[in-house]
Formats: sequence, structure tokens, C-alpha cells
Amino acid sequence: MSTRDFREFIGKLEQEGQLVRFHEEILPEPDVRGVGRGAVDLGPTGPAVLMDNIKGYKGKQLALNVHGSWANYAIMMGMPKNTSLKEMFYELARRWDRYPGEVKRVNNPVCQQNVIRKNINLYEIFPLFRVNPYDGGCYFAKASVVTNDLDEPDEFDKTNVGMYRLQVQGPDTIGLGALPFHDLGMHVRHAEAANRPLPIAICLGVHPMLSVMACTPIAYGKSEYKYAAALDGAPMEIAKALTSDLDIPAGCEYVIEGKVLPRQRFPEAPFGEFPGTYSGGRNQLRIQVEAVTHRNDPILENMYTGRSWSELDTIIGLSTCVPLYQQLRETMPEVTAVNALYQHGLTVIVAVDNKFGHYAKTVAMRLASTPHGVSYCKNIILVDGSVDPFDLVQVMWALSTRVRPAKDVIVIAPTPGHPTEPSSDPKGISGKVIIDATTPAYPDTTGPQYRLVDKVENTEIFRKRIVELQQATGR
Amino acid sequence: MQCARCLADTASVVAHAPDGSGAWEMIYCARCNFSWRTSDEDQYINPARREQIFQYEGLDLETLPTVMPIAPLRK
Amino acid sequence: MICVRCLRDSANVVAHAPDGSGAWEVIYCGQCNFSWRTSEEEQYINSSTRDKMFQLEGAALEKLEVLVPVPPLRKR
Repeated sequence: MSTRDFREFIGKLEQEGQLVRFHEEILPEPDVRGVGRGAVDLGPTGPAVLMDNIKGYKGKQLALNVHGSWANYAIMMGMPKNTSLKEMFYELARRWDRYPGEVKRVNNPVCQQNVIRKNINLYEIFPLFRVNPYDGGCYFAKASVVTNDLDEPDEFDKTNVGMYRLQVQGPDTIGLGALPFHDLGMHVRHAEAANRPLPIAICLGVHPMLSVMACTPIAYGKSEYKYAAALDGAPMEIAKALTSDLDIPAGCEYVIEGKVLPRQRFPEAPFGEFPGTYSGGRNQLRIQVEAVTHRNDPILENMYTGRSWSELDTIIGLSTCVPLYQQLRETMPEVTAVNALYQHGLTVIVAVDNKFGHYAKTVAMRLASTPHGVSYCKNIILVDGSVDPFDLVQVMWALSTRVRPAKDVIVIAPTPGHPTEPSSDPKGISGKVIIDATTPAYPDTTGPQYRLVDKVENTEIFRKRIVELQQATGR
Repeated sequence: MQCARCLADTASVVAHAPDGSGAWEMIYCARCNFSWRTSDEDQYINPARREQIFQYEGLDLETLPTVMPIAPLRK
Repeated sequence: MICVRCLRDSANVVAHAPDGSGAWEVIYCGQCNFSWRTSEEEQYINSSTRDKMFQLEGAALEKLEVLVPVPPLRKR
């Protein structure tokens, strides 16, 4: 079921018809961006694209859209590529509880088959591109960044693997876009308080499950490696970095090793971010690169990030849903599913059965006070437990037929907000809106009683037969 | 040379197309950290055509928000 | 015969399968205007298995809502 590393996963995608090899000559700008945008616009069945003829970078391999479609995500899960979102959600939730998985230490990892320590020129080693036209430079947008807490360097579970944006600034320096409330922010704070450079390893082309965990908000003391292993059903192979004590994925394609310069800030950004807008210029951290290692015939994995729906939405989508679902069900087992796919949970649809009048509204309040919900969950829509929150047609039906404007729309403001979210004004301040589209329960009433039209029971047999007939027409 | 974004004379060539084709050069400004490839589209690398909202001309770079505050030194 | 919906003795056979197969009959109630085909699923055409919410027994038939009220006669 699982694959060992990124290289094997690429092979599996290709076997399943979910990877295309692009040999035509294209320019780094604007063409690579066009490939990334085009591939993800193909939607839930779109393929990954592996390019090897980028002008000036001839022969260097670049992969985009590896997590860009639900079909690819299903293959990563070891499920059929046409698995429904709802099924993948429940399967991911089931595997979540398998934490912790195992890690296995490896010597002479393949990611260190080649080592560059001198004359490092990132622009010449890596087939980079400017992701969005007004970004401040070329970015690594799909890196898994590894750091330790220097106050507790032997605590394996406190190693952080996170996906942060990285702006190439000159041949061997990189701007690091971190935020104080991320785990990396805590590692930097501890290092800077002691005036120490923080060792850092930027890992590219990592196991696809590790990429997913790198952009999932999990508790500080939990290990992304062990989560990835639990979700994948196989141990994660790790190895020691060359210039530091950091644990890196053994089978990844490239590792950029370096140090975060303490107590200094440098201009960074803009970068087209997850809400589909450019973040403004910031004074941010800087990494001094000390070594680059890579596999033979390495593939650079990068990500086009732009207006939704883009690869970023797919990779963070379901793992944003699952923790919220688990946290709600701790005290509210009536919740049947959570769809937090939209802009990392800025809009959430929760399916829940009312156990009494207006119960669903309190579910919304619990969501709004979960760790992720506090600054992300802004638009909270409640639908019945029998409505599939991943099926937007059903959700629209619920909004159309169940919302009583005077009773079912509640605005709570001001509340915390996410500073990168454009409607957050001032930055970091937002509000919550609860839209209750559930069927009222006693003692709440809805006036005249209506009965839903029942599901058609024999539809499956006839649906299959109609498909057969249509295929037989050959058109 | 002149930076296309902050217009200071702080940019220089830092890389060439590694396949030896001469297809492009990479220019980097050490002052504002902007970089651009000479093969990029003109409207994004020509200071006369870039959108004003993205330009750093006359901007005091110190005023960019510091999202990661520097923690006080531990004693 | 008895209407399966309003239970009044006001239903009659009004049609037969036109292809001569004898596959079914259609029964219609002149009181509540319900009709059913004898080949339909048992649960929907048997008055003891039909969902109570959909029955029109007794006074329920008289109490049906008039969505289009009858206006007063115009004076000449």
C-alpha cells in the first residue's frame, strides 16, 4: 500500500495514469507557472507534471502538482483513485488514531549520494521559478523544514517538520517566512534568546505523507514523522544531517542544510499566499546555506500557489478537517463529518444532528474555540448529519431550505482572525458568522411539518445499467 | 546595477543558466532582496512598467513589519 | 372499493394495462382524488402500511388548505 519515498510515489502515480512527462522546451517564467496552474485547473483527476526541458535548466527535473488532485491524494492513501472525498475523510480520521507510527534510522541515506559544500549557487543547482508574477523572487514552496528546540535537542517528538515559504535571496541565502505561533517560531525564539544560530534542514521531494503532515496543525509535542508513519502504515526512514544533528527524511530528493542567523531581520516577500492574495513585504528571518545534498538524478518538487483551487488546497484540505472533527466529537458525538477544505478552514461546514433545539449553534461555538478554529473558522455552516458536507449541492440545498434568517444567522464580532486573510481588518481581527441550516428539533419548531422525499432504493442497479448502455453507444 | 524594485544601485548578476546555453542571467539586489531572471516578462522586471504598489522606491526597509519579534536575550 | 388513502368507499378501477398484458389496473378515488396502480410497491398502496402522515382519513380531507381563496361575487 505505502511507498517508501517520493521517488517511488512518482513511479506509482505514473503507473496509475496520474503523472505526465513534459519534454517540450519551456521558459522558467512565465511557462512553469502556466504548467502549474493548468495542471491544477484540471481538477480532481488532474495529473502531476514532471518537466525536464526548462530553458537554461536543461536536464534538470521539476515536478509540480504532485498533490494537486484528489485522485493523486487517494493514490497516496493507497485507495482507488476515484475514491469519494467523504470516504477519504473517514479513512484519514481512522488512521489518525494510529499515532504514533514508527521511525527507522538509516545510515548512508540516498539523499546524501551527492554533497555540495562550496560555491553553492541555488539558482544554478535548482530549476527554480518565480511562482507568481509579483513575488519577491524565486521560492521553494513545497519544502519540509526541519528544526529542533535547542533547549531540548534530545526530545525527538519536539523536532518540528513544517512547510514554510522560502525566498531565494542571492546564491546561498534564503529568506524564511515564519510566524510566531508556529512551532518553528518557538524554536527560533529559544535560539535567539540564547543568541545562537538555529540549525535548519530544508528537505525537498519528501515522502508525500510527510508533506501533508508538514502543513497540518498538530500539537507541539507531537512528531510529524510519527504521524506520517501512522497515516502511511509503514515506518518513516530518517537519517542525520551532515552539518547538524537534525533528523531528515532519508529518501528525499534534496536537502539544503544551513543556519538561521540569530537576531537579524531582512526584507522578504511578497508571496502569493493561501487566500489567493499577495502578502505584503516583511522583515523576516534569513538562512545561511552551508551544504546541499541530493539523490542521483534528483527531482525538485515545487508547488504553484495561487487562487483557489490550487495544489495547496488539496494538500492541506483533509488534514485540516480531521483534527477539527476529532476535537468536536470529544464532547459532541452527534457530529458526523467536518468539511474544512475552504482556505484552510476559513469556511467550515459541519454535519450534525440536533439533539435538541439550536444544538447545532453550540457546535459552531465549540468549533470556534478549538485551537485552529480560534483564528481560522470564520464562516461556520451547520447542516444535518444526513447531509454530506463535502457535496456542495447538498449544502446549498440545506442553506436554501433550512435557514430562517431571523433565527439561524448569528454574527459574533470582533474575534481573533488570521493576519494574512484579506478581510481581516485590522490585521489579526475578524469575526465569526454562524449559519444554521439544520432541521429544527424540539422545542424549536419550523411551523408546518414537512417530510423529505425519500432516497430511491433501487437506483444503484439502474445507474450502472444506464452507464453500460451509454458506453455501448461508443460516443 | 539598478534594482528593478527599489531602484537603488545595489543589484548584480549572481547566476547564469547552468546548462551553458546562455539563456538567461539571474540578478539579485542585496539591499531589498529582490531577484529577477533576465528572461522573465518585461512588465514584471522593467521598473518603468512594474505596478507601483509592488515597488520599493523611497521605501525605508526598516519600516516593513517584523512578523517574528526578536526575543530578549536570556541572561 | 375502499380508498387506501382516505378510507372512504369511493374508489373504482378506472384503467387497465393498454397492451392487453393484464399487468396492472389503475384505481381512482372520487372523494380525495388519489389513484394507485395495482403493481406498485405494497408499502405505498396498502392502507395499513402507508405512512400515517400521508393519510387523509376522516376530517383531514375537509381541512385541506385552500391556497386560492374563493373571492366575493362582483355586484352588477
